[in-house]
Amino acid sequence: EYEIVLPGVSGTALQKNVSVGSPTKVELTCKLDENSNLKNPQVTWKRGSETISHTSKTQNSWTIQLTISDSSQLGSYSCILKGEVEVSATFHLQVPQIEGKERPIITYEGDLAVMVCKTEYAPMAWTWYMTNGTELVAINPSSHTNKFRIKRQSADVNRLEILKLTKEDIGVYWCEAAFRLGSSKRRFELRVLSIMAPLKPFIAVVAEVVILVTTIGLYEVYSKKKGEGEREFDQIEQL
Amino acid sequence: PAPAAAGRAPGPPDGGWGWVVVFGAFVSIGFAYAFPKGLAIFFKEIQDFFGTSYSEIAWVSSIMLATTYGAGPISSILVNRYGSRPVVMFGGLLCGVGMISAAFCTSILQLYICVGFITGFGLALNLQPSVIIIGKYFLKRRPIANGLAMAGSPVMLCTLAPLNQFLFDNFGWRGSFLILGAILLNCCVAGALFRPIGAGTALVKTQVAEEGKDALKGKISEDGKEMSSALNVPMENKTEEEEGKDCFEKINQYLDFSLFKHRGFLIYLIGNVLMFLGFFAPIVFLAPYAKHTGIDEYSAAFLLSILAIVDMVARPTTGIIANSKWVRPRIQYFFSFAIAFNGTCHLLCPLASSYTGLIVYSSFFGLAFGMVCAMLFETLMDLVGAARFTSAVGLVTIAECCTILLGPPIGGILIDTFGDYKYMFIKCGAVMVLAGTFLFIMNYYNYRMLAKEEKERKTKEEDPKSVRTENEGRKNWNKDSTQDGPELEPLREEGEGVKKEMNGT
Repeated sequence: EYEIVLPGVSGTALQKNVSVGSPTKVELTCKLDENSNLKNPQVTWKRGSETISHTSKTQNSWTIQLTISDSSQLGSYSCILKGEVEVSATFHLQVPQIEGKERPIITYEGDLAVMVCKTEYAPMAWTWYMTNGTELVAINPSSHTNKFRIKRQSADVNRLEILKLTKEDIGVYWCEAAFRLGSSKRRFELRVLSIMAPLKPFIAVVAEVVILVTTIGLYEVYSKKKGEGEREFDQIEQL
Repeated sequence: PAPAAAGRAPGPPDGGWGWVVVFGAFVSIGFAYAFPKGLAIFFKEIQDFFGTSYSEIAWVSSIMLATTYGAGPISSILVNRYGSRPVVMFGGLLCGVGMISAAFCTSILQLYICVGFITGFGLALNLQPSVIIIGKYFLKRRPIANGLAMAGSPVMLCTLAPLNQFLFDNFGWRGSFLILGAILLNCCVAGALFRPIGAGTALVKTQVAEEGKDALKGKISEDGKEMSSALNVPMENKTEEEEGKDCFEKINQYLDFSLFKHRGFLIYLIGNVLMFLGFFAPIVFLAPYAKHTGIDEYSAAFLLSILAIVDMVARPTTGIIANSKWVRPRIQYFFSFAIAFNGTCHLLCPLASSYTGLIVYSSFFGLAFGMVCAMLFETLMDLVGAARFTSAVGLVTIAECCTILLGPPIGGILIDTFGDYKYMFIKCGAVMVLAGTFLFIMNYYNYRMLAKEEKERKTKEEDPKSVRTENEGRKNWNKDSTQDGPELEPLREEGEGVKKEMNGT
C-alpha cells in the first residue's frame, strides 16, 4: 500500500516513512515514471546487505510484500533500479513517531504547564517521565494529585498538566508511546520564569510611550504659543 | 495676512504637519491590519494549553476581525463627535488593556473577550480615525498620503511576525501578550500626532440639514471650517441648525445615513462588498496550498514574505501613480482595473504548479493587493468628499464585515469538498473580476451623470434667482457633496473653485 515514483534521473535519494505500530502486512512499490529515459532496468530490493526477492512486477512497477511480526523486521528497505543510470528509493519502516518539533515550553511561576503528545496511530499505552539527575522517573498522577494530571484527549492524543509551577520543576520531561513493535519518545524542556521577566520590557515600552506622548503634547503647546504670539504681532502691525 | 472668513478659504495643508500625521496613520493602520494576522503564531500553543480544537482558536481571530470592521460606525460616530485624536488615543489604550488582561486569561472564553472584543474594538477605534484624518489634511496629494499610510500594514506585518516569534520563544504566550499590550500602547503615540484641524464637532451638524438656503450656507462655511487650519472662523450657522431636530435627524447628526441615497457611495458599497468575498481567502490559503503541492514549510512562509515586500513597495507607488494628473480624474477606473487584475491573478494561479510559478504568482498578487489597498479609502473619499467620508467609512466597513468573515470559510468549504485548492482560487478570481467589471461599468455611468449634473448646474448658476429656491438648494447641495464639487475643482482651476464657493450664496 505504499508507493514511491522515481523520475528516472539520478538526483537526491527518495524516501518515505512508513509507520507500523502493530504486526501487519505491508506492500512496498517502486514505480518508474512514464516519461523517464530509463528503460527496462534491473531492479533489486535490499535491506542493508540482504537482498529480497520481488513479490510481483508489472511494466514499470516492482513490489515486495512484507509481513512484519516483530521489531527486528523494522528498518530501511530500498529498491535499486539499474540501467544507464542507477536510481534508488528507500522506505523507512518504523514505529509511529510522536508529532511535534523540539521547542522549550515557557511558563510562569504559579501557572500551569501543558505538554501534548500526538501520534498517527493509537499506542497501547502512554507514559510520562521526568528526569531526576540522569534517571527517568515515571510520573504517577495518583500519588501527586495536586501536582500532575494526565488527561487522555483521545486514543492518539495524550496530555500532561503540571500545576502550581515552581522553579524546581524546571527540567526535561519525556512522553512515551508504547506499541507492539516498539515505542517512541518525545522530549520536552520546561522553563519556568518569574513574573519579573516580561515585566522589564513591558515597563520599558510603557515608559517610551509616556515619554513620547508627553513630548508631542509639549511640542504642540509650545508651537501654539509661538503661533499665537506671531498672530498678535501681525494684528498689532495691521493697526 | 490671513484672509477673512467669508468665502475664500485656503485648501487643506497638503503637507507640513500633514506628513507627520501620515506617519501616525502609518503606525495606526499598520497595527490595525497586521496585528490580527501576527497573532497566528501563538495559536498552536494556546490551542494545546486550553485543550481546544483549531476552529475554537480561529474564532479569536474572527471575533477580532469582526469587531474591528463591525465597530466602524461607532468609530465614525465618535470621530464625528470628538475628532480623530481622542478616539485614537482611547483606542490605543483599549488595545493595551485588552492584551494585558489577555495575558492573565484562564479560559478560551476570556480570550475571546480580551483579545477578540476589547482589542478588536480598540483597533477599530484606530483604523477609521487614521484614514479620516488623512482626508482632512490632504487634498491635492491625498492619493500619495493614502498610499503611504496604507503601506503601514505590510511593514508592520513584516516587523510583527519575527517580533512575535522572538517574544514567544523567550516569554511564552502569556509574557508575549503582556509585552504586546505595551507595544499596542504606541497607538496612543500615533494618536497624539493627530493634531485636530478645523472645528471638528460642527462638521456633521451643518452638512445634514436639508433646508435649501441653510444647506448651502452650511456647506460653504463647513468647507471653510474644514480647510482653515488655525483660524478662528466664526461659527454662525450653529444656531440655525439647532432648530427643529427630531430623533432621526439627531442620529443623522452623528452618522450620515443620507449617504444611502448617494449614487457614488452605493456603487462603491456594492462593488466592495462583492470584492471582499474573494479578497482575503487566497492569502489565508497560500501557505497551505504551497505545502499541499509539496513545498516545505519555510519556502511556503517565504512566499508570504515576497507578497508582503512587493505589497510594501506597491502601495506608495500606486499612491504616486493615482496622484498623477492623468489618473486622478479617472481614479475609479484605475481602482476597478486593480481589482480585476487581482482577480485575474487568482484565476491564473492554478496554472502555477512549480515553486517558481508560485513565486511569480505571489509577486503579482502582492502587487495587485497593494494597488487595491492603497486606493481602497482614496476612492471612497473621492466619491463622497472628505466631509462625509467619516460616516461613509463607518457604514462601508460594517457592510464589508460580513463578506470579509465569510470569504475564508467559504474558501475552506470549497477546498474540503473538492479536495483541491483550485476551485477556491477560481471562486475568488471570478468574484473579484466580477466586482471590478461592475465597478468599472457603474463608475462610467456615474462619471457621465456627474458631468451632466455639472453642466446643468453651470447653466442654472447664470440665473441667480433660481439658486435661492429650496429645491434648487437641495440639488445644489447634493451636487456639491458629490465628487465633482470641491474635489476636482482645485485640480482644474483654482480661480473657478473660489468663484463657485462665493457664488453658492
